[in-house]
Amino acid sequence: MSLLKIALPKGNLYADSVQMLTAAGLDTSGLSDPGRLLVIRNGELEFYIVRPTDVPAFVSLGGVDCAICGRDSLAEQELPVAELVDLGFGACMFVVAEPKDADQSAKEHYRRRGLLRVASKYPNITQRYYDSIGAQVEIVKIHGNVELAPRCGIAERIVDITATGATLRENNLVVVDKILDSTARFVGNLASVRTDVRVRRLAHRLRDLVELAA
Amino acid sequence: MIPVTPRGFKDILPSEARWRESIVTAAQNCMSLWGYAPIETPTLEVGEVLEQGGELSPNLFRLFDVDNELLVLRPDVTLQVARMAASRLADNDLPLRLRYVQPVFREEKSLKAQARQFTQIGVESLGLAGAVADAEVVLLAIDTLAACGLQEFQIYVGTVGVLRLLLDRCLTTQAVDAQWQAAMLAACHQGSVAEIKRLTVAVGLDSKYARVFEELPDINGKGDAIVRCRQLVEPLGLSDGLDQLSATWEILAGVGAERWASIDFSVISAYDYYTGLVFEVYVPGLGVLLGSGGRYDRMMQRFGASAPAAGFALSLEAVMRALLHQGIAITMPETDQPNVVVAGSNAVEAFKQAASMRGKGKAVVIAEDQARAVRTARQKRHPG
Repeated sequence: MSLLKIALPKGNLYADSVQMLTAAGLDTSGLSDPGRLLVIRNGELEFYIVRPTDVPAFVSLGGVDCAICGRDSLAEQELPVAELVDLGFGACMFVVAEPKDADQSAKEHYRRRGLLRVASKYPNITQRYYDSIGAQVEIVKIHGNVELAPRCGIAERIVDITATGATLRENNLVVVDKILDSTARFVGNLASVRTDVRVRRLAHRLRDLVELAA
Repeated sequence: MIPVTPRGFKDILPSEARWRESIVTAAQNCMSLWGYAPIETPTLEVGEVLEQGGELSPNLFRLFDVDNELLVLRPDVTLQVARMAASRLADNDLPLRLRYVQPVFREEKSLKAQARQFTQIGVESLGLAGAVADAEVVLLAIDTLAACGLQEFQIYVGTVGVLRLLLDRCLTTQAVDAQWQAAMLAACHQGSVAEIKRLTVAVGLDSKYARVFEELPDINGKGDAIVRCRQLVEPLGLSDGLDQLSATWEILAGVGAERWASIDFSVISAYDYYTGLVFEVYVPGLGVLLGSGGRYDRMMQRFGASAPAAGFALSLEAVMRALLHQGIAITMPETDQPNVVVAGSNAVEAFKQAASMRGKGKAVVIAEDQARAVRTARQKRHPG
């Protein structure tokens, strides 16, 4: 049997992803403590540990057959992949936020200058959101700690994901609008879904697990 | 600075060009045996014409000419053939079987590893409808892929009929709008069951329709898949296209094409011009679409004519990737290594001798002197 390649996202979705695949009956030995390993092979399974934002590219270009990936990354990248199962974990939300003490200053800024500056790690989602509400914005792409941007004045607002809102509160930011819910998804390469029966089988097992837990 | 081609475009050097030529020739010969005649279409189309045909893709290459006309580099050939058929052909010219090999151009964002030019090998069958015509297109695709040298490939066949009817039914009986319909079609196109589910829940879709949306992408197999699909949708009166698909499949199975074809209801083209049969071509172990096709009986109406039509297009570059993936040896014709005639002091005689050799079908190059002749003969390969 040929290899079935599966990408897993590093970071906060990782542990739940491994647990879910184990529950689905996959041999995940070595995955819970990979050390510095980026590729782990168990029989016909080959796991790739990649950055969450890179998962859509690995899947859509056929580097792997399937993967677990947050909807946030999928929505930002907009690459063609099959979102087969909503796994339910890793829930978070895309929000627009601004400094608590800003009061109406962002609105005032927009009224006077006709545009807003928005900092985000997700420029595409941000652009689509502001297009949808018909507002002109300048987007500053930031790679991390987006909360700092309004604080030092390079943007009036931010678009970021939040699970509990704790980081926003700690940085004195309040939610202005909600854009999009996100959870972890089991995704497949469009060719592999059709050509490799193991991808659909795994999707069915994962779907059953999710329904059982619900 | 060393000059390079624009992103997503490339030069093709002799060894690759020869390989491409051999694949294209094999495909063309195969299509000719099925009675398909060659055509060529212009590289540029008037933007409005493509729009009229329903081409709204965001990745069109656009430019203005000196008359300030918005022109578009052809993103595919099918719309062009429909435009050509509507404007240049009379009804009694039909049916027509046409084939082409042409580059197409698609604008792509940077950093996505996508070519902006690739070559399509395709056919259009105009004025033919029904299961026989559908089966012809699928079988020709199988023959063409085999002629290209592929040892392993699979054509996944479906129909848009069921989903079209279901989407229309939802629009008339459920609390959904055209925007929801478009989002649902996009989700179905990618077989994104998670997204399909989200969309059904979001509008509180009637569970009997939600179930069809969710289960349809998972129905696949051989002839049995059509039966299962019918069981799912017939009670709702949504079995549009299944009779024809069933009849098509009977022909395919009857001639032994089951080895190369499967039924898969997750195959739904993103283009809304398809009206019945749809199919996609993949090879196992390679996450790349090799080509796709189907039936688009209403496309010519958009150009003021009316005739059923079907066809497919394969990507030459994807076929080459699949051949490499399958480790299929590339054999080049003998004429690659030309004979060498030395001109020396008598160039006229050398050209005459070369001409007579070429008359016997031998490839000949003329070298100025012995030293150059030796160097030419040593050149085992062209660069690239």
